[in-house]
Amino acid sequence: MNTELTLSTINKEEVARYLGYGQNIPDERVQELFEECEKQVLDCARARYTYKVFDFEIDDKARLVRILGTNLELTGNSICRHLRGCEKVVLMAVTISEGIDKLIRIARIRDMAEAVVIDSMSSAAVEQACDRAEQVIRSEYPDYYQTFRFGIGYGDLPIHLQADFLNVLNASKTIGLGVSKSCMLIPTKSVTAVIGLSKTPITGQAKGCQTCNMQGRCQFRKSGGHC
Amino acid sequence: MAKDFRTRLQEDYVILDGAMGTMLQAAGMKMGEIPEVLSITRPELLVSIHEQYLQAGADVVYANTFGANRYKLEGSGYTVTELVKAAICNAKQACENVNPDGLVALDIGSIGQLLAPTGVLSFDEAYDIFKEIIVAGSEADVIVFETMTDLLEVKAAVLAAKENSDLPVVCTMTFEMNQRTFTGCSIPSMALTLSGLGVDALGVNCSLGPKELEPVIAELSKWTRLPIVVKPNAGLPDPKTNTYNVTAPEFAALMKELRQYDIKCFGGCCGTTPEFIKELSDMLHAEGNAGFHKEKEIPSAVCSATNTVTITEPRIIGERINPTGKKLFKEALLNKDMDYILNQALEQIHAGADILDVNVGLPGVDERAMMVDTIQALQAIVDVPLQIDSTIPEVLEAALRVYNGKPIVNSCNGEEESLNNVLPLVKKYGAAVVGLALDKDGIPPKAEDRVEIAKKIMNRAMALGIPKEDIYIDCLTLTASAEQEGVMETLKAVYTVKHELGLKTVLGVSNISFGLPNRRLVNHIFLTMALTNGLDLPIINPNIEEMTGAVRAYKLLANIDKNSVDFIKAYANMPKVAKIAPAAPVAEAVIPTAPEQGETNSNPLYQAVINGMKNEGAELTKQMLETTDSMEIVNEILIPALDQIGADFEKGTIFLPQLIMSAGVAQAAFEEIRKAMVLNNTKQESKGKIVIATVKGDVHDIGKNIVKVLLQNYGYDVIDLGKDVEYQAVVDAIIENDAKLVGLSALMTTTLVSMKETIELIHEKQLDCKIMVGGAVLTPEYAKEIHADFYAKDAKESVDIAKRVLG
Repeated sequence: MNTELTLSTINKEEVARYLGYGQNIPDERVQELFEECEKQVLDCARARYTYKVFDFEIDDKARLVRILGTNLELTGNSICRHLRGCEKVVLMAVTISEGIDKLIRIARIRDMAEAVVIDSMSSAAVEQACDRAEQVIRSEYPDYYQTFRFGIGYGDLPIHLQADFLNVLNASKTIGLGVSKSCMLIPTKSVTAVIGLSKTPITGQAKGCQTCNMQGRCQFRKSGGHC
Repeated sequence: MAKDFRTRLQEDYVILDGAMGTMLQAAGMKMGEIPEVLSITRPELLVSIHEQYLQAGADVVYANTFGANRYKLEGSGYTVTELVKAAICNAKQACENVNPDGLVALDIGSIGQLLAPTGVLSFDEAYDIFKEIIVAGSEADVIVFETMTDLLEVKAAVLAAKENSDLPVVCTMTFEMNQRTFTGCSIPSMALTLSGLGVDALGVNCSLGPKELEPVIAELSKWTRLPIVVKPNAGLPDPKTNTYNVTAPEFAALMKELRQYDIKCFGGCCGTTPEFIKELSDMLHAEGNAGFHKEKEIPSAVCSATNTVTITEPRIIGERINPTGKKLFKEALLNKDMDYILNQALEQIHAGADILDVNVGLPGVDERAMMVDTIQALQAIVDVPLQIDSTIPEVLEAALRVYNGKPIVNSCNGEEESLNNVLPLVKKYGAAVVGLALDKDGIPPKAEDRVEIAKKIMNRAMALGIPKEDIYIDCLTLTASAEQEGVMETLKAVYTVKHELGLKTVLGVSNISFGLPNRRLVNHIFLTMALTNGLDLPIINPNIEEMTGAVRAYKLLANIDKNSVDFIKAYANMPKVAKIAPAAPVAEAVIPTAPEQGETNSNPLYQAVINGMKNEGAELTKQMLETTDSMEIVNEILIPALDQIGADFEKGTIFLPQLIMSAGVAQAAFEEIRKAMVLNNTKQESKGKIVIATVKGDVHDIGKNIVKVLLQNYGYDVIDLGKDVEYQAVVDAIIENDAKLVGLSALMTTTLVSMKETIELIHEKQLDCKIMVGGAVLTPEYAKEIHADFYAKDAKESVDIAKRVLG
């Protein structure tokens, strides 16, 4: 299924974090810039999501998850661990669309500071759109507990699966989301993720720095925070 | 019945088939599988599906070639040619079995890779991909492009079809509820562009059901005289079951209602089955079609992919993207400083330009390459339509190919050579054209003679099939100080061309006042006179308030701007002037001077940089330049301020946005200094050249752009190659500029490989150039491993590295 979401505000604490503020609070001038950029991003963003729910099986020997009814296999230890104990799996894709890429291009010509803030605002916006999409899934599947969303490329789940993943969701047709040869989502402010659904409470899959592919080079972690 | 699609289009209606994908899935195809492979592995299944549609009444079946492009078939084990030929063969077999009159469409969907600027696929690559399919599918009866969302991709597709095949071409795009495609393409833009490119029929498919598509089709029928094609989904999908909510009889009933919009070809998309086509076919056989309004009037208009400008009222063409008489612009062209040109564009649009003229012809510049680069860079950020301004047909053609929308060609004239060279290009690419009312004997002094030339241009253009509404005549402004008697002749010619020939008129206005004092006054009065005489497209400098204001006021007074809406919007916030004050000498401003030793910090410009006050920074610099040497401003104020900001950033007392805001102020200050130096013919000192690029395959360029601004602040000449840059292009730029430092950026683990490859190539060529690298996923260790000379953890550090390498 796919549809459009409306975002009415952007989480500016998150934006400050992306911009390297750590625990610090932006000064008044930067907050003004935030307000102005938030308006532009909200005007321009068209948040769309699509997801499908599948049965799956974990092949421990081959260390992969087979998505039944499709030709998709999610490989790696981390995704096996993520989905263990779940009954169903949700494949989800979210984008806030191409207009945002253009907005950033325009801002760069006009004012680089604006471009940088809009870039971070858009990253925060797409995460918020993901949260909203998760809520929709929760309301559609009220009897299930959900795992956190496991991004393609996170842990040892290869980013090269991006194209096959989108193909199963028919994402270019349903939400206008594609992928480049170097596995980059295009439009750039987009997210793909795997969520496990379980009838019993989910344990042991805490999202942490250990499984993160930014481990060892995360500036945010170095400044004492974690996401 | 004729086995020819074009002949079929003359008939009352044509029935197309229904969905293929959902039929294949029902037959057991897994999600994510490549459907085109089934044409070879399960031909009987494909033949059977086509047969069912033909039995249901379809006149045309779409072969199973929707995704048969080289990108999507990668790893399938089959070539494009194998799968396309097999698919067409299956469809033909079905026709033979069921209805020998049935036609086979070569069905081509979107490539699945977005074109630049959002994606990385180039126009030429897209063209090539489509060409391969079209050549392989030569046995089909018609070429159909469907489910398209990107107008530029469709343009590449249609050109590939037209240049490599004689088959009829049909195009359908996919629109959402907001009447736009995912990439923002609007219905008028699609209709104007594709009608111009000479497709045989156009329309919409997929995304919505027949009911939801009604407003889309109603709008479309206002913008084209071509036959319209409609292939809706079976309503909207149910979120949980993924089934559609419209039944076959309901579908036919809804399609019956849509007949009023000049639809010629009816079919179905996702969720429709042979049953739907049967109901549709029965309805059309029983009820017939609703008749056509072929003679409908289409407004004269030009467009980008997202924005259509109708020439039904005066529209401003901005003239600033043109080097003639502009030192700074010439300098920018020679340095390939695209940001300067883009700034000119944004400034004009902000001032009120509806269309931008683009002229980049200058001795010493490869005009063809520069024009293509400029058009592509402009359409990556602006929505307004462009006017391609060149006298060289090769330049015009190169620009017309890559232009995303329907542009204006500026220009042809009454000379045979010009008519023969330019008009066929205008026709082929579906542009509008400016015809200059002059010929080999020059500009006729008398209005009647200019009108005669206009008539000649009109007749020649229309004989080629260029619609009358796309011909704009420039009756040519003569300089009042030299040929005073000519002014009224020009206006007379404008009046006659507009009211007697019925053509749109265009006029460059600013020439009128050449050699006179108070040019602004003369210009805007002449502009007003021309508007009153019927000028549609003034080519002016929109940044001059009196010019744009004259057009706005004219539209208000001529009752075009109904209820003064646009006028009030433009001027509502204007400060009120109580009474007009007599002109008086301006009070002397306090001009900041260079700081004495030790008082740097209190200098207003220094403070402006520290506090990120951009406008103040530029203004203060301008004032200081009157009394202070530019190098003194740079060395005593700007650089110390930037050093201070950099140190604060490192300490963590200020953060990225503040760093960049300050850099922006410094940049504005440097811009003022640069302007002053160019205008005084002073040679600028450079601290050295640095090539920077986001590596091949990577489109995240925000980090690289921050680095660029900071490096420029410190006086380095930055050659910015942009994003997704080929390895060789980096090497070429280093050699061409003799750069001693190159900066490479990558944001993704997948594109680190490209970084490594680029570095290897630089080393292989044994270039005397240090390499610095940066980007979110990089580590100092990895930088070392791929043999970079420096790792920059942030933009500030890239400046430190540049200082070390270049001083």
